[in-house]
Parts: sequence; C-alpha cells; structure tokens
Amino acid sequence: MVIALIGILIGGVIGFLLPYTYNTTYSLYITIAILACLDSVFGGVRASLENKFNIRVFLSGFFGNSILAAFLAYIGDRLGVPLYYAAIFTFGGRLFDNFAAIRRLILFKNRSI
Amino acid sequence: MMELKNKVIIAIFSVLIGIIIATQLKANVEAYVPVTIKSIENTKKEIDIIKNEIQEIEKIIQKREEELEVLKKISAGDEDIIDLFRKELYSNMIASGYVDLEGPGISIKMYDNPSDEIIGFDINDDVIHDVDILNILNDLRVAGAEAISINGERVMPTSEIKCNGPIIRINGRSIGTPFIIKAIGDPQLLMAAVSAPHTYGDMLKNVYQIGFEPKIEERVIIPAYRGELTFEYAKPKGDDS
Repeated sequence: MVIALIGILIGGVIGFLLPYTYNTTYSLYITIAILACLDSVFGGVRASLENKFNIRVFLSGFFGNSILAAFLAYIGDRLGVPLYYAAIFTFGGRLFDNFAAIRRLILFKNRSI
Repeated sequence: MMELKNKVIIAIFSVLIGIIIATQLKANVEAYVPVTIKSIENTKKEIDIIKNEIQEIEKIIQKREEELEVLKKISAGDEDIIDLFRKELYSNMIASGYVDLEGPGISIKMYDNPSDEIIGFDINDDVIHDVDILNILNDLRVAGAEAISINGERVMPTSEIKCNGPIIRINGRSIGTPFIIKAIGDPQLLMAAVSAPHTYGDMLKNVYQIGFEPKIEERVIIPAYRGELTFEYAKPKGDDS
C-alpha cells in the first residue's frame, strides 16, 4: 500500500522532470487509462496482502484494462455517446472496493499483533 | 506479508502511473467538454453564418471597387462626371418613387360586401376600412413588394391612408371603392401573402364576405408619385445652417 503511494509520488516527480508531453486531444483516453491502471495497482496490493498475487493476472489486468478503457472512451467519442462512463463507474467502484479490502487487511493484521 | 518480488513489481507500475499522471497534469487541460453531435452541429452553423458574412462583405468590397474604378476613369477624363450624376439621379428617382415602374406582380380588387344580407351585428363589418387596406399593404411589404399603388396613387413612405366616410384618402386624394391595389414583386409570394389561409386577406374574403379578388399579373404598371416631397421641419442631422 505504502509502496504504491511512494511509487506514484516518485513517478510524478520523474514525469514532471521529463520533457515529454502528448497532444491534449488524447487527454480523456489517458485519464480513463490512468483510472484503470490505478485500479490494477490497488488490486495488486490487495492480492499481495492476501498472498494471492499472480504476476500474469496483474500484468494482463494492468495493460488490458487500461487499453480497453481508453478504447471504450474513443468509441464513445466516435458514436457521440459517452461510453467512458462505463469505465469510470466500473474502475472507480472497484478502486474503492480494493481500497476498503486493503484497509481491513492492514487493520486486522495490526490488531492481531 | 508481501513478497519482495511483488513489492518491486507493484512499485515499478506505480512509478509508471505516476509518470503518466504527471504528464497529464503538465498538459494543463483546463476543462474537458466531450464533443457531442449537437456541439458539432452548432459549430457548423456558426461557421456557415461567418462564411455568409464574409461573402457579403466581399460583395460590398467588389461594389466599392467598381465605384472606385468609375471615379478613376472620370479623373482620367475617359468618362463625363455629368453622365454619372445623371445615372445616380435616375436611380435615386426610381428609389424615391418618381418614376413609373413595371414588372411582374399582383393586383387586388377590393370592394364592400355586395350582398344585401348583413354579416355580423354591425354594418361596419361589411365595409372596407383604412385598417383593412393598411394590413394588406403590410402583408405585401412583408412578402417583398417593391412598389405599391392604390387606384393609381403610388404608396410612398409618407403616404397617409385614412378613412373618410365611405372613401379613403391617400396622398391627399380621396378614392372610393372598388380599391385596386397593385404591387410589383415575386407574384407567387405576394399572392400567398394575401390569399393563404389565416392571412388577413383570406379572413376579409371568407369571414367578412368582403369583395377581395387577388390576381397574378405578368405586367403590372405602377405610376410615379405625383406630389412633391418637401420637408418643413426635418433637417439633415448635423446641418446647423
């Protein structure tokens, strides 16, 4: 859990220092992809705490979910229907679910000690 | 406990997410508004309006350039300035109604209700009033009538149309029924403006049973205004002399 937060912070610093930017047209797709990635990382942390971590599941979820989410946003844009809401609700909801599970695992562990 | 390998993998991907988030923040997107079909249509409409404006302005520029060309010719001595002024005077006379005009249009014959039977409660309902004429004139003008006359009297911007008992007064002259209104313009449009359902003309004809006979004519002649336009009180703005 702490590792994920620290990693994101370090990544943020690196990202700010790197000179690369992308076209703002893609910002919606990237945002949705970020949401999917965050969900994957939280899921990974939770799986680690539960000792069920599988690197294949983690990697396929990380890339698959983000690509699918970005694709959904793109298709929605083409069709004129905001399909990216599906990704926001799914991954947003799962993000909070995962976070709740992590919280309980950590609290339970501390109390048992 | 988390294994070290898992920790490292999660940390690496967290860093990746952090980099993407930071790049996104750097892009500095102020507010994202999804592009909907409606907004695209609105933008299209705006573009069309602006294009039309540009076209109109280009037309004005072309006109002014032509005028400039004529003036240049005059200054070079190729053309006489008096001819130019004559042309201008003539077009001004046409615009102000001092020239007989002809063209396609309609003529409307209006007369009081010819039947002995009284429609409604009041005999006034069977008679043509100044208001009826004014409404018909207004309808014709909305439909793009370029010149209008009533019983041979040119309708000018200053023309009065006033009830005077059984007759109406226009341009200081009294005229009686039948009133023949002639107008030059797009005949179909003018016809529709006075005879389509729910127009004033249709109501006069079918509700009040007043004689109302619009007719399309290929060649309508509108006589010139016979009076004089003189201003006693009105002066051009900024002219103090």
